Amino acid sequence: MKRAYWSRLHWLLAAFALVAVVAAACGGDDDDDDTGGDGGDVTYGTAGFKVIEIAAGAPVKIGVSSVTSGDLTGLGQPIVDAAILAGEGKTIQGHPIEWVVKDDQCSPDGGAAAANQILQEGVVATVGPICSGAVVAAQPQYEQAGVTHVSPSSTAHKPTFPDRDQVFQTFLRTTYSDDIQGPAQAKFAYGTLQAKTAYIVYDTDAYGSGLRDAFRKAFEAEGGKIVGTPEGFEKKTTDFKSIVTNIQNAKPDLVYFSGFYAEATPFIKQLRAENKDVKFLSGDGVKNDEFTKGAGADAEGAYLSLPSPVYAGDGYRSFTELFEKATGLKVDSSPFVAESYDAATVIITALEKVAEKDGDKLKIDLEKLNEEIRKVELDGAAGKIKFDARGDNVGGETPVSLFVVKNGAYEEVKD
Amino acid sequence: MPPVDAPHLALSVGFWSDQFVNGLTTGSLYALIALGYTMVYGVLKMINFSHGEVFMLGSFAGYGVLAAMGGDDISGVMVAVTILAALIGAMAVSAGTAAVVERIAYRPLRNAPRLAPLISAIGVSIFLQYLVLDQTDARAKFYPDIFPRGDFSAGPFDITYIQTFLIASSLAMMVFLYVIIQRTRMGRAIRAVAENPANASLMGVDVNRTIVMVFVLGAAMAGVAGVLHGLFFQTIRGSMGFLPGIKAFTAAVLGGIGSIPGAVAGGYALGLAETVGRELLNELPGVDLGNQWRDVIAFSLLVTILIFRPTGIFAERASSRA
Repeated sequence: MKRAYWSRLHWLLAAFALVAVVAAACGGDDDDDDTGGDGGDVTYGTAGFKVIEIAAGAPVKIGVSSVTSGDLTGLGQPIVDAAILAGEGKTIQGHPIEWVVKDDQCSPDGGAAAANQILQEGVVATVGPICSGAVVAAQPQYEQAGVTHVSPSSTAHKPTFPDRDQVFQTFLRTTYSDDIQGPAQAKFAYGTLQAKTAYIVYDTDAYGSGLRDAFRKAFEAEGGKIVGTPEGFEKKTTDFKSIVTNIQNAKPDLVYFSGFYAEATPFIKQLRAENKDVKFLSGDGVKNDEFTKGAGADAEGAYLSLPSPVYAGDGYRSFTELFEKATGLKVDSSPFVAESYDAATVIITALEKVAEKDGDKLKIDLEKLNEEIRKVELDGAAGKIKFDARGDNVGGETPVSLFVVKNGAYEEVKD
Repeated sequence: MPPVDAPHLALSVGFWSDQFVNGLTTGSLYALIALGYTMVYGVLKMINFSHGEVFMLGSFAGYGVLAAMGGDDISGVMVAVTILAALIGAMAVSAGTAAVVERIAYRPLRNAPRLAPLISAIGVSIFLQYLVLDQTDARAKFYPDIFPRGDFSAGPFDITYIQTFLIASSLAMMVFLYVIIQRTRMGRAIRAVAENPANASLMGVDVNRTIVMVFVLGAAMAGVAGVLHGLFFQTIRGSMGFLPGIKAFTAAVLGGIGSIPGAVAGGYALGLAETVGRELLNELPGVDLGNQWRDVIAFSLLVTILIFRPTGIFAERASSRA
């Protein structure tokens, strides 16, 4: 009796374990090296554009897909706050703006779920998702609904060079692609930091693996060499010991980390416990005050890049004043807030042009809205904004800045 | 053309011994947690899937004690005192939780069909995990960085102080458990109940009390593992119990679920398979497995064991070993 039970149970468990293996193996590791593409011909799929009617006195809804709980709240919440600031005191032909904020947890599943919730609310456009993994998962849904979404912070290659032949017409971003950030990091690593060898540690999501590819290609083109096996990890990983041992063995000049601060913090603590000297370089996902706070002394000397210019324009100054007054946060404590303000501004500007009065109702043609958003040119809080056919921002001139952590603060590095 | 360089296979003795120590460290944690799974299985023939959360609560209790006693400002001899206090606090919280969970979620189902307590355990697991996620705003907490850094060298081995402490204290806990099971009255009662609850009851053993003790002992081990995990990896969060829980369960199955030496051996074997095993696979021509493959290796091992040797390495008399 006991034996029969156990044999039934063990098949159940075997099946369960098999599922676990498959889940682990499919954990979003994106290994294709398709970083090519020089623009090429852009064709769009068919987006499900509709005309939305807004009843008398009813608000115009705009979605925000960001992270509002968990480790990355420090990244996501300021972005939400900045987007909402852009609508302060504004109406669309007398109709108030209502923000529909949903938490996408920076994950593919979360991005798709948040898209679902946002679209069900009947939004006319969306700011976000903020993470590339979530963007890639949610793009088909926004496209099908014909709702244009503008991400302030998704930097990966994939959103504007999707796996399918057609580009997503409904996706745009106010930040810059990692096809710009990766090479800039590589140039900095090889040229300025004199690192001839690099060891790669990356988040297996679209952002981490995309940035990894962009950096790797450019670093090798500079003449650098990637040593060891590039090491992937899932979000929420805390055990990096075995990676650190491999780094110690490979003796690289530089450790390159593409991921977010939530994992970079334990990683750099474990790295610095054994190696005080190796240079550490990472990107926008890590450049956050949460990183310097969490890693403390171990963050000292870390290099971080940000695909934004260090702004000086009027738009930036007035945004800074507005943001710091409204949130009590320093404007540079977390990245992409200015880009978020601009993304929301782009949407609102286009809405003001496209919305048509129909009696006391308001009519918004989503296709016209999409066209208008694509046409917007803006001297915004994060610099000049102008979109190409893929939805990439091509407005700025010096989009990548580099920083080093000194005495717990980020200091810009000029080369 | 990238410059020609030595392939990454140029591995030194130091590399292998370092990975071996990494494997032992993770393995120690798996073994400590696996003990709870295997003891409960030995006595109740039930898989306590909430055990990973008991481990997580231990980690948070330890964090609470450390933070209350000064956090990052602790130094000197106070470090030892605080860590001891954290370990005791964690054991108490984990053991208390396990006892309450046993009373509320498992005891009413003791004579129900086998699947009922299993489902109940999964429910408790999810409840505890989301309770802590909710209370912590789902954010990570960082253990204070108080453990002295540095390492010992012994032959080819470079072992950091914290790794030494972790391996030694988990071994001490396992010996302590072994002594309790083999040498005390309570241990004898546990073994008797594992063998045959009805007979044990006829011989005057209080079965309910004994079963609570089994949960409490296993949970205390998990609580210690929680603090050690926190001190070593420094990052804890509400969802941290799930993966080590499943891994420890794998370790228990690997060793032969129900067997105490099996759980310990399985824990070390799994820890080594994930670290040294992955590097050995990487030695094969054309194989290049990054860190993201370690869970695949662990769970492939689980599938293989369940299919070909479901009773585990220490198969014989599994149910009689408590």
